[in-house]
Amino acid sequence: MRGQGRKQQMKPFAWNYARPAEQAPALATYSYDAALQLNVLADGRPAILDRALLAAAGTTTSKAGSATHFDD
Amino acid sequence: MTVLVLTSAQDVTADLVVAELHELGVPLVRFDPADLPGEVALSTEYVRGEFRGYLSTGGRVASVDALRSVWVRRPGGAAAHAEEPSAWLAEETDHALYGMLDSTDARWMNHPSAAARARRKTWQMRVAHRSGFPVPATLVTTYPAMARRFAEQYRHVVVKSVSGKSPGDPPMALPTTLVPPDADFSGVAAGPTLFQRYIAKRADIRLTSVGDTHFAARKTAEAGQVDGRFGDTGHSWQPVDVPPQVARAVERYKRHASLAYGAFDFAEEEQTGTWWFLECNQGGQFGFVELDTGQPLARTVAEWLAAEPG
Ligand SMILES: Nc1ncnc2c1ncn2[C@@H]1O[C@H](COP(=O)(O)OP(=O)(O)O)[C@@H](O)[C@H]1O
Ligand SMILES: [Mg+2]
Repeated sequence: MRGQGRKQQMKPFAWNYARPAEQAPALATYSYDAALQLNVLADGRPAILDRALLAAAGTTTSKAGSATHFDD
Repeated sequence: MTVLVLTSAQDVTADLVVAELHELGVPLVRFDPADLPGEVALSTEYVRGEFRGYLSTGGRVASVDALRSVWVRRPGGAAAHAEEPSAWLAEETDHALYGMLDSTDARWMNHPSAAARARRKTWQMRVAHRSGFPVPATLVTTYPAMARRFAEQYRHVVVKSVSGKSPGDPPMALPTTLVPPDADFSGVAAGPTLFQRYIAKRADIRLTSVGDTHFAARKTAEAGQVDGRFGDTGHSWQPVDVPPQVARAVERYKRHASLAYGAFDFAEEEQTGTWWFLECNQGGQFGFVELDTGQPLARTVAEWLAAEPG
């Protein structure tokens, strides 16, 4: 608890314009194949053949918790 | 000669380039520095003036003097996946890995020091201006009064993050947003805030520069739209020619910044068609542009990485 008379903590200005991140769409499951050094789909085909997956993973809008979606 | 790809395992955009390298018949080693030590091992030795270094992962061994290039795509932090991660172990591992790689003649896309500097938007504004790009009036400040004056002067101003990162845990989205001139600016004192003159635009431009090759793509904006990444307008990215004076400015910018790769964002102004510089993402995404436009971005990255050191 804050003591009385303490200044209320101010929010950085930009936070007024933040909004919840949109949910990442459900993606086909894929896993890394160390021999090919590529990701593969459940049926063994390369993940890059799945355009919906590629499109979602390569977007520039950041999705919560993603290691690959940011744009810097 | 081997290409080294540093990125996270789940990075399917990197897969596009790896597949092109396979097609070119170029040997490569891919790993995430987060998996060092553990799935990745290294050794460097300096004995009687002789320098040797090896990296191994998944049964592959690469001698560092046989590296032709290093692609720093989306690597995790060194030792981040260690059994007992710590700031100390991360620093030790980072020094061992990047110190070793920096001792080679390999070409970098992009070198970590150049990348660290090039991420900062304030620095980008300065270099962009010097390179010959038109740059919208920009203010980064902790003074509420300065922010208010800027908003009154330009009337239409946007706010965006200084670092390009989103706040919060889990992260929130922070779209570039118009600020009403009568906004309460007191929060500016609680964190440096970036304001920029709003460019009334008819399109967003994304220019991906790989070595000496530049690909531009254009996405039509709706009237009054601000951040092109939010709100689906039904428009997709279309290839567009790079004006010669833009190409020259891109080349000056990248030379000054020591970057081999850069993804530039511009706003194409409604009235004049001018491309206003917004930012240069030194590690910017390119998969979404390639999917829409068919521009051979992954192929061009692979060819740049495959070239022998000159
Ligand atoms: N000054 C501006 N005028 C008009 N639109 C802008 C302006 N600045 C940014 N935008 C829009 O917002 C998007 C994101 O801004 P940007 O400067 O690229 O920062 P970041 O990607 O780091 O958030 C741009 O691609 C563009 O669509
Ligand atoms: Mg951007």
